[in-house]
Amino acid sequence: MSLPNEDSTSSTSDAQLNNIFGDLLDSIIVDVASECHRIAKLGLDRNFEEEEEEMRLSAQARVRVADPSNSSEANGKYLVDIFGQTHPPVANEIFECMNCGRTIMAGRFAPHLEKCMGKGRKARLKVTRSSTAAQTRHTRGNPGSTYSNYSNSNSTSRLPNGTSSAGGEEYSNGALEES
Amino acid sequence: MRKSVNRQSTPDVEENQEDKEPSFQELINIELIESGEKERLMELLRERLIECGWKDEMKALCRSFIKKKGRNNVTVDDLVHVITPKGRASIPDSVKAELLQRIRTFLMSAAL
Repeated sequence: MSLPNEDSTSSTSDAQLNNIFGDLLDSIIVDVASECHRIAKLGLDRNFEEEEEEMRLSAQARVRVADPSNSSEANGKYLVDIFGQTHPPVANEIFECMNCGRTIMAGRFAPHLEKCMGKGRKARLKVTRSSTAAQTRHTRGNPGSTYSNYSNSNSTSRLPNGTSSAGGEEYSNGALEES
Repeated sequence: MRKSVNRQSTPDVEENQEDKEPSFQELINIELIESGEKERLMELLRERLIECGWKDEMKALCRSFIKKKGRNNVTVDDLVHVITPKGRASIPDSVKAELLQRIRTFLMSAAL
């Protein structure tokens, strides 16, 4: 391809350079404008309406923080968190324990469950007693309860599982919880 | 002859005689496009403009304009007119220099 004016003055070629550059730039500008237009029309800009709201809220918050009478530390009995809510030191919602059916306070629920469901010695015996009671209720007079691995706290010498009464110390699975 | 369609008649060949020779500028443009260099240059420029935050500035300008005018009253044309003057002026010199250099190199090689 033969180009005329190959050795044209540099000003012309500069002009050409700038023309070409301007052309590229215009294309990119149109792209950006079109993208912004699309986002605006489709409502994809999630921050669109929130910006002003957030500016106002942050200004309010700044005022509140600067105000010394609103100190959040040890304000009376309770602490105030960033939403202005106060929380009592022990959670005080009340509901029913699903295991034993007692009404429990939420803040005391975990320790209650520990005792109720089986961390401690008393809990395990409680389970035994209630389940053996349930079992014996079903199987009348038949002491062959599969659950009674541990002796009843009242009578350590009673044999579980209908094993022969010969071996006083024998238990079906050999596990014995000394009471 | 009745025209069933409103259509501009094709310009006569004689009118075009002077324009038959494409201008220098057009030749360069054709060369740029055909060799793929124009696309490469655009990608390079796009990348540099994103890196230096120019695109974000332009988008912020658009957003504030849209907020003022109302989301549903804005056309692409409006936005182009909003961005163009500021956009052309706020190109960082390094970016412009890099692109101009690339174009110059291309022109040299194309002219050979």
